[in-house]
Amino acid sequence: MKRGDIVLIGLVVVIAAAFLVPRWFGDSPSENNHNTQRIAKITVDGKLFRTVELTGEEQEIEINTEHGYNLLKVHDYGIEMIDADCPDKVCLTFGFIERNGGTIVCLPHKLLVEIEGAPSEGDDIDAIVK
Amino acid sequence: MPSLNEQANLSLKRTVIVAIFAAVAVVLSLIEASIPVNMGVPGAKLGLANIMVLTCLYFLRGRDALMVVILKTLLSSFMLGTFSSLLFSISGALLSFLAMWGLLSFGRENFSMISVSIVGGISHNVGQLGAAAVYLKTTKIMSYLPVLLIAGVLTGIAVGLAVRYLIPSLSKLSLFEGFLTKPV
Repeated sequence: MKRGDIVLIGLVVVIAAAFLVPRWFGDSPSENNHNTQRIAKITVDGKLFRTVELTGEEQEIEINTEHGYNLLKVHDYGIEMIDADCPDKVCLTFGFIERNGGTIVCLPHKLLVEIEGAPSEGDDIDAIVK
Repeated sequence: MPSLNEQANLSLKRTVIVAIFAAVAVVLSLIEASIPVNMGVPGAKLGLANIMVLTCLYFLRGRDALMVVILKTLLSSFMLGTFSSLLFSISGALLSFLAMWGLLSFGRENFSMISVSIVGGISHNVGQLGAAAVYLKTTKIMSYLPVLLIAGVLTGIAVGLAVRYLIPSLSKLSLFEGFLTKPV
């Protein structure tokens, strides 16, 4: 290893840490304890497909579009991709997400799931699945 | 001044090396796809095929390595993926090639192959994520970049080490004799 290598590695790690560390400390304490309502926004091809409230109850959301089929599961105030017919299955490896800003992406199906705090007005939710 | 015969010989050797390297790179991609290495980071890969691209950049000219990159990306996409995955891998691969080639041409004294490989891995991720952002029409997935940076450093070190062992071994082969003008 030359000196340039160590400088480069250090630089990249510092840049990555600068983005990651505030995220770890930023959102965890209050939200998980007070059970602030959070929603998952499901977007297909840049357009909003559906908004789902993240509740403790289990529910499954099937997404059938021209791009393909995906199955999402809401449980324990989070959401998870449990099935998809895309070729690479990368979307399944995102696992269970529950924090604000958490995302699941299924590129071949142009599908994006992201978690947000519930809007304060509460009236622009498209559909709530019971 | 090398004779005409020698030059033709050298360019034939070059073609053979590019073909072999591209073939090995495709095989490495296939092997990588069949072993599920879950690093806890979705979409992150080891990038074993980059070993061949880096070695080619070291021995041959930039345009030969570019040929390896294009061949490997097209072939492995045809075998493994769909059209959309070709779009992502080609934008990642080209950006990665440009970054590695640039660092190798201008920073050879200060950086070893490990740096070149790290830069290649990271710019591959950046290129893919950029293409994905355009494709999904959202910039939100860029929040995913820091994790990919860390993954890029780790896989970059692994690939760079592999290249460091591969180059001296290949240098002993007679096929590479004409290309050993640069200091190791």
